[in-house]
Amino acid sequence: MRRSIPAFAAVLGLALTLTACGSDSDGGTAETTAPAGGEETTAPALTGTLTMWVDETRIDVMKPIVEQFQTETGVKVDLVQKVSGDIRTDFVSQVPTGEGPDVIIGAHDWTGEFVNNGVVAPIQLGDKAEEFSTSAVQAFTYDGQIYGAPYAIENIALVRNNAILPETKATTFDELVAEGKAAGKTYSVLIQQGDQGDAYHLYPLQTSFDAPIFTQDADGSYTSELGLGGENGDKFATYLQKLGQEKVLDPALGGDQVKEAFLAGESPYIVTGPWYTTEFTNAGLDISVLPVPSAGGSEAKPFVGVQGAFISAKSKNPVLANEFVTNFLTTEAVQTELYKAGGRLPALKTAAAKVDDPVLAGFNEAGATGAPMPSIPEMGAMWQFWGTTQVQIIGGQATDPAGAWNTMVTNMQGAIDSAS
Amino acid sequence: MSQQTIVPDSEHAPPDSPPGDARPTRGDSSPARNFGKGFLVKLAIVALIDAVGLYGILTAIAVEQWAIMAFLALALVAVNWIYFSRRTLPAKYLLPGLLFLLVYVVFTAAYTGYVAFTNYGDGHNSTKQDAVAAILAQNEQRVEGSAAFPLTVLSRDDQLAFAIVRDGEALVGTAEDPLAPAQGAKVEADRVTEVPDWQVLGFAEIAQRQQEIVGLRVPASDDPADGSLRTQDASTGYLYESVMAYDEDADTMTNTQTGVVYSPNEHGQFQAEDGSTISPGWRVTVGFENFTRAFSDDRLRGPFIEIFLWNFAFALFSVLSTFVLGLFLAVVFNDPRVRGRKLLRALLILPYAVPAFLSALVWKGMLNTRSGFLNQVILGGADIGWLSDPWLAKLSVLGVNLWLGFPYMFIVCTGALQSIPSDVYESARMDGAKPWRLMRSITLPLLMVSVAPLLVASFAFNFNNFSLIYMLTGGGPNFVGTPVVIGHTDILISMVYSIAFESGLKQYGFASALSILIFLLVGAISWWGFRRTRRLEEL
Amino acid sequence: MTTQTARATSTKAAGTGLRPSGTRGRRWWREVSWRYLVAVVMIVVCVTPLLYVISASLNPGGTLVGSNDLFRTVSGENFAELEARGFWGWLGNSLVVCTVTAIGTVLMGAAAAYAFSRFRFKGREQGLTGLLLAQMFPQTLAFVAIFLLLLTLKDVFPALGLDSLLGLICVYLGGALGVNTFLMYGFFNSIPRELDEAAKMDGATHTQIYWTIILRLVTPILAVVGLLSFISSFGDFLIAKVVLQRSENWTVAVGLYSLAADERTAPWGVFAAGAVIAAVPVVLLFLFLQKYIVGGLTAGSVKG
Repeated sequence: MRRSIPAFAAVLGLALTLTACGSDSDGGTAETTAPAGGEETTAPALTGTLTMWVDETRIDVMKPIVEQFQTETGVKVDLVQKVSGDIRTDFVSQVPTGEGPDVIIGAHDWTGEFVNNGVVAPIQLGDKAEEFSTSAVQAFTYDGQIYGAPYAIENIALVRNNAILPETKATTFDELVAEGKAAGKTYSVLIQQGDQGDAYHLYPLQTSFDAPIFTQDADGSYTSELGLGGENGDKFATYLQKLGQEKVLDPALGGDQVKEAFLAGESPYIVTGPWYTTEFTNAGLDISVLPVPSAGGSEAKPFVGVQGAFISAKSKNPVLANEFVTNFLTTEAVQTELYKAGGRLPALKTAAAKVDDPVLAGFNEAGATGAPMPSIPEMGAMWQFWGTTQVQIIGGQATDPAGAWNTMVTNMQGAIDSAS
Repeated sequence: MSQQTIVPDSEHAPPDSPPGDARPTRGDSSPARNFGKGFLVKLAIVALIDAVGLYGILTAIAVEQWAIMAFLALALVAVNWIYFSRRTLPAKYLLPGLLFLLVYVVFTAAYTGYVAFTNYGDGHNSTKQDAVAAILAQNEQRVEGSAAFPLTVLSRDDQLAFAIVRDGEALVGTAEDPLAPAQGAKVEADRVTEVPDWQVLGFAEIAQRQQEIVGLRVPASDDPADGSLRTQDASTGYLYESVMAYDEDADTMTNTQTGVVYSPNEHGQFQAEDGSTISPGWRVTVGFENFTRAFSDDRLRGPFIEIFLWNFAFALFSVLSTFVLGLFLAVVFNDPRVRGRKLLRALLILPYAVPAFLSALVWKGMLNTRSGFLNQVILGGADIGWLSDPWLAKLSVLGVNLWLGFPYMFIVCTGALQSIPSDVYESARMDGAKPWRLMRSITLPLLMVSVAPLLVASFAFNFNNFSLIYMLTGGGPNFVGTPVVIGHTDILISMVYSIAFESGLKQYGFASALSILIFLLVGAISWWGFRRTRRLEEL
Repeated sequence: MTTQTARATSTKAAGTGLRPSGTRGRRWWREVSWRYLVAVVMIVVCVTPLLYVISASLNPGGTLVGSNDLFRTVSGENFAELEARGFWGWLGNSLVVCTVTAIGTVLMGAAAAYAFSRFRFKGREQGLTGLLLAQMFPQTLAFVAIFLLLLTLKDVFPALGLDSLLGLICVYLGGALGVNTFLMYGFFNSIPRELDEAAKMDGATHTQIYWTIILRLVTPILAVVGLLSFISSFGDFLIAKVVLQRSENWTVAVGLYSLAADERTAPWGVFAAGAVIAAVPVVLLFLFLQKYIVGGLTAGSVKG
């Protein structure tokens, strides 16, 4: 074997599995230098620096991984922390100037905007694509090309406070609300809304009425046709009104409020994601994670969000960037490390199979049939119309739910048409 | 070197008198003739500026930044002329600030003006060159059903080649020569490890020649339909075929599968005859299109009047309320009989001392209908929609802005009060004037002289106070069913934001045009207001 | 400066005719007592919202306003975590940037105000109006232009380019001739011209008049402008986040903004702790400058 990156990667994979069994990242990286340097890799450190952007929500997870990559390959990685609110815009506006990074870590729903602006390069996962959960790869696919390597999956589910209700018998959402009310706390089921609405957290209920945002192909990918209108949409809108009148849903309950209420034991149920459950368990709550029961008869399917890495279209280090994104990030060892640090389900199937955390397993089950959030650039407008209309139905400003819903569908269609 | 350059530049300085020899001449108000310590300091500073400026000019020439070079040259001439001439007295005091203003404020404004005439935004993000590259990259697809080849990068006399193993046979190819069997190549585990006459590239060379390697396309055979071999990580190769082909001479993009030809249109996109386009496009100037769109867009016309009136009222009430409260407090605590004024004043500026976005977040929580402090604690569990009722939301926005803004006016008024001589009060009090009368006929008019322009500026600031609205209400409660999501507390600039940024694609060009229109509007109002305050000043 | 304060106090004491502590009886009740009432009300209004911030800063893992149950946990954990987030570096950057900006703004703004106030030259009126209007240009797209400008400047003067504190200071100084200039201009106008004339008669140059006479007389407004400039650059994150790309170069405002950027995962406790500490320099600066703001020599007393 000559010196080559794949040979190197083989060594590296071995080293990583070793470290994965080891303790923390600090101790691990020190250990791995020995086997890596012991082989033929007396080659000088790779020249060039890989610049990587990551926002504050992902930086703590990426830091040890990047350090590992640095030790294994000798490639210097310059990890730049960006603000989550700006990282997308900055990437889109800075890549053309040559100031942008080589690699950006982010969420799959950025794909559309990036591709539309020509700032990311397609990547080739090759046969590895099949080793990932289908929705994870689908999430990063745009117009038939894959633009990002997925590493973690997240979705929302129903979370139960076992101290208030030890078991759930309800099979429909109405029964769940009744059960929650019977528990005699301030709230029955918490679903965060806020003044501008929150369509993301209501999506499982909406899909249970068979009214997905876009219609889906047989293979599960979205078409460009809005699916949330029609009779099913009307039914869902009426149902929202009902939940609003019953005060199950309340525009005054934003993220902060539901989190505090659940932490204070004011509700047996909450529909939320892994970002809050970590804090629930940290606070000593005994929780179970279940699929959201159906409200409209069909299966309640949440949106699936996928985290991954993109490569800049103007990267000056395309080989190194690919080495990191397609060869390093996609290994089982790294995906497992990322899961341990970030508490999200790995996108790689073999790594996911080894996750034994009951909370994450619960989220995994709840999101098994979920489809990724659409990543078309027009989604920004969709979210706005969507949340606003829902909150107006819930809050009672829109007295005719079906009518308001249909106006929303028309406006959404208008936004799509005017953009294209 | 810098010393030498100053002298010829400063025509108005006496050429032959070394500064040290000159005696200070008393009675001359112009420092140009006054070669004292002040002059030496000035000379040193200007020399330093000249040195830095010249360095900048030389560097600018080296990196071909002609605009910077021209600006620096002009600025240097101006500096030397102004500081060594006797006729430019006011300019001596104005120049430093003006230079910064020119570079950082006027340029920014001018650039926004320029953007308003382009289609800059999502989908038109960069140059045509970038767009062509992106289209080609996005439309290069892996040949269906083709295998992944462990790949070796070779070089010979600076020429790069790829070597792979197919059907047990080692193949080598370059950009010109399609893959062909290589005699005497050594293979280990499906990977070519040695080829006679070729050198296998190691890590360091690969890292150095990354872009070349990634850019290399090795034809699989003489038939272009077989695709070409490329690699992204220098270790695995795949066969690709290009769906799009760019013809540089004709400046057209051709879809090799359908044969459709796309040529560039006026809006910076490749367009086929049937009107279909390929994205991404590129940035071009589009004339007044963004401005005409601002007047023809139905989505803007509908709620415009309502939003404009609220915007005006919001700015006006914000200025008045903060000023009245700030002035009131300044006067109240300017009384030397009040003890602990120092601490009191410090506590009063607290709302100004914490970052505004933090305060907005806190207020948003405090005004929450269900769990907010106001409803829960003060009003004992009331159910008042402070942020969800259209009128109350407006009231809340004004209230929070008062909380945020009065310390500014308080500081300004406290400072400005010091300019009012206390003996004026003395004599007025002697004449038996009541406090309220003192306030109205002495304090207020005198204060207005220095504060009035500030009120105009504060009006303009609040007219475009996007961040408060955005963070406190997000414009909500939203109108029901409008074709663009805007709400009762939206002001013009936040409406622009909604339309140009959040409704689908970001349109910087359109947003710039709209902000320029808003600027003209608020500028006109302020100019009128400013002229009124100038009249006040003449009193 | 001490002499000034001393003189000012004596002026004030003379102005009221009574020592503050000497005011008693009905007059005190009528004229002074209500001022304390106003003080109490205003302090409650100012401080209440901040209690949430303080409470959140002491509560690890809590939210900013999710609960009205204030101070149920008290722990210094959040403050301890600030270090790991690089907060102290941000604070240092902020102090450097804001101090230099404040001084630069005062110097350049005062010079311009002096020119507008004391000299009559062509374009003076237009200049004043122009300055005011220049400040009104909406900054919605400023970030695109500023980024581009600093990117280009970087080629020539790396120290003024992106990711440089000096670069950010320069951007802030672009606003030195702004609203504050008007404040100073108005104040300068209230200084009697006779003073300049008299000094001129004594053979002082315009530079001497400016530095040694005018600037001393306008100390209160210089302190006010310095304070306002400091606060506004201290609180700015919109421009700072465009200029400062790397987290170690951030200012406090950008750092705090980054902590609060993602509502779901934001570490509200750490954010609040940072905000509490960030308020300290501003309050201290105000306490320090107060003696110049309210104790400065008043124009009127010069005459006497």
